[in-house]
Amino acid sequence: MKLKHKISIFSAVIRLLLLAIMWFTLSFVIKKVAYKNIESSMIEKRDKFVKNLNTSEINAFIERNDSTELYVSFSNLHSEFLQLYRSKAKAAKQKDYFVDEPRVVEKEQNEYRVLYHHFTYKNTDYVLEIGERLSEVNELLEKFHLVILLLLTVTLILSHFAQSFFIDYLLRPFQKIIDKKINLINEPELFDHSKVHTTTSDFILLDNGLNEMMNRIQEQFKKEKQFIANVSHELLTPISILQNRLENLLNNESINDEGIDKIAVSLRNLDTLKRIINNLLLISRIENNQYSNFEAIDFAVLISDLLRDLEDRIEIKQLQVSSTIQHHFLFEGNKTLLHILFYNILFNAIKFTPDGGSVSISDSFQNDRYAIAISDTGKGMTEAQLSQIFNRFMKINLEDEGQGLGLAIVSSIATLHKIEIQVVSEVGIGTTFTLYFPKS
Amino acid sequence: MNILIVEDTKELAVELIDYLSKSGYICKWAATCESALEEAEVNQYDAMLLDLGLPDGSGFDVLKSVRKAKSKMAVIVITARGELDDKINGLELGADDYLTKPFALTELGARLYAVIRRIHGFAVNELDVHGFKIQLQDYKVSFKENPIALTKKEFDIFQYLVLNKNRVITRLQLTEHVWGDVLEVSSDSNFIDVHVRNLRKKLDKHASIEWFETVRNVGYRIIS
Repeated sequence: MKLKHKISIFSAVIRLLLLAIMWFTLSFVIKKVAYKNIESSMIEKRDKFVKNLNTSEINAFIERNDSTELYVSFSNLHSEFLQLYRSKAKAAKQKDYFVDEPRVVEKEQNEYRVLYHHFTYKNTDYVLEIGERLSEVNELLEKFHLVILLLLTVTLILSHFAQSFFIDYLLRPFQKIIDKKINLINEPELFDHSKVHTTTSDFILLDNGLNEMMNRIQEQFKKEKQFIANVSHELLTPISILQNRLENLLNNESINDEGIDKIAVSLRNLDTLKRIINNLLLISRIENNQYSNFEAIDFAVLISDLLRDLEDRIEIKQLQVSSTIQHHFLFEGNKTLLHILFYNILFNAIKFTPDGGSVSISDSFQNDRYAIAISDTGKGMTEAQLSQIFNRFMKINLEDEGQGLGLAIVSSIATLHKIEIQVVSEVGIGTTFTLYFPKS
Repeated sequence: MNILIVEDTKELAVELIDYLSKSGYICKWAATCESALEEAEVNQYDAMLLDLGLPDGSGFDVLKSVRKAKSKMAVIVITARGELDDKINGLELGADDYLTKPFALTELGARLYAVIRRIHGFAVNELDVHGFKIQLQDYKVSFKENPIALTKKEFDIFQYLVLNKNRVITRLQLTEHVWGDVLEVSSDSNFIDVHVRNLRKKLDKHASIEWFETVRNVGYRIIS
């Protein structure tokens, strides 16, 4: 997940939480304030009532003397009420308190905030209840909630857009560094050294660091290229002289048979030396990105060409070779290198398969990836040998006359083309090399 | 045939001259771009061997000047490996062929022969060795009008040995000529022997071939 998305998600969650807290707090505070208002007005009423309470009123209450012994008065719209009755408990011990209660007033049930007031008048204990209907307040509170919710939602949406824009703006240089630089880090020659414009010091540091790093890598690449060229020239020129001199010497009539034998052996040694140098240089050159001209490769043609080159070996060893390349997979690669890659694998397959054995080449799609498998019925390898075959100068057996560079070259070429190689082998049964090509 | 050898390494030039003179070419040596251009202007050459890494410039500049002068001179470029990305590049620049150091002298001889033949007209279309006729254009061999069916590799080997007649050709040289720069040569010598055996069998049916010698442990030679 990208940094910018992570930041967006994180801040969205934080903002949601904050807004939820604000919503709850505001609702709570408003409710408190509204109740405080109601309650203070009820206390005022109580004081007025108690102050104006006189004997006649009590008497009116007493004279009525009905069975419930209640004195009730309602306002017209039932928005408030007063109720007075005798208490059984001792008034002095009871404190005033507020309760939310439903009351039925003239067959209409409503929620009221009720103040209970205990008092003693002329040695008689009374309870005074003052009620204030809550529905108006609640309606108001609900409207308040709605307005707050609306405001908070609008704030949330606006701040989200503002922040997305801001994050995008802030991270734009970073995105540029990734797109133009980090993504091209494997191709030092194509690296863009121009500075990314930003005022964020961290990004300036990152950009400068990357530029410096790539400068060094490019420098190293150039030096390596120079070194390779020097080695090519300085090592191969003396070999060239020696080889040609020995070739001329071979035809010198004054040299006897023994001398000719020795010259021929020297020529062979020189040839081995030349091949080692050339193969090492080939690996270096591949790793130095000197093979950049990629073109469309037709594997069916490539492999049939190779089989034609190797035809006589196949014939002399009486091998059964079958090649079924049936998919037309489009692949861009370096023709010379891919030729070498398949040549080396096929050459080994033919070399290590006893006379009369078989070699088969086939292609398939495995998990959407194109794969070419080269199997032989050769002598196979142990696990320990398998783990080493791609190492330089690795020879499976000592009689092997090669230099142990063939598969190291295969490995370099495969890496350059992002081809994955899997080798399965069983001693005495055979070996299968499977090349998995990157998805196009 | 006159050959101009442009090569700054004297010791190498000496070996090239030694080989080419014995093959009947008249050689002249130039060690720098300047002297090479001067030579090419003053004298008529049929072919030039051109090293790319010269002390006073690149052999490519010599090649460009020579081509600008519309001289009908065959040019074989000689380079150390890695100076060119691939063969096509060298040929695109106007060279007729291309050899990477180190190369076998016999390979140079064969290439030079082919290039000169191509550039200066197909005067010689047939090589004759003890009655066996090699038709260079259509890759055919016959003996007294009787065609001999050779495989491509057998023909290559025969032609190579005939072009370098009277010289010992090692198995290595033959292998490189037939298969190019392959992975390993030692194990290939056996394959060369198989091809040579088959070739001799086919030739032997028509006439005695005691002139087709085996040089023990080394290679082969055709005496003529």
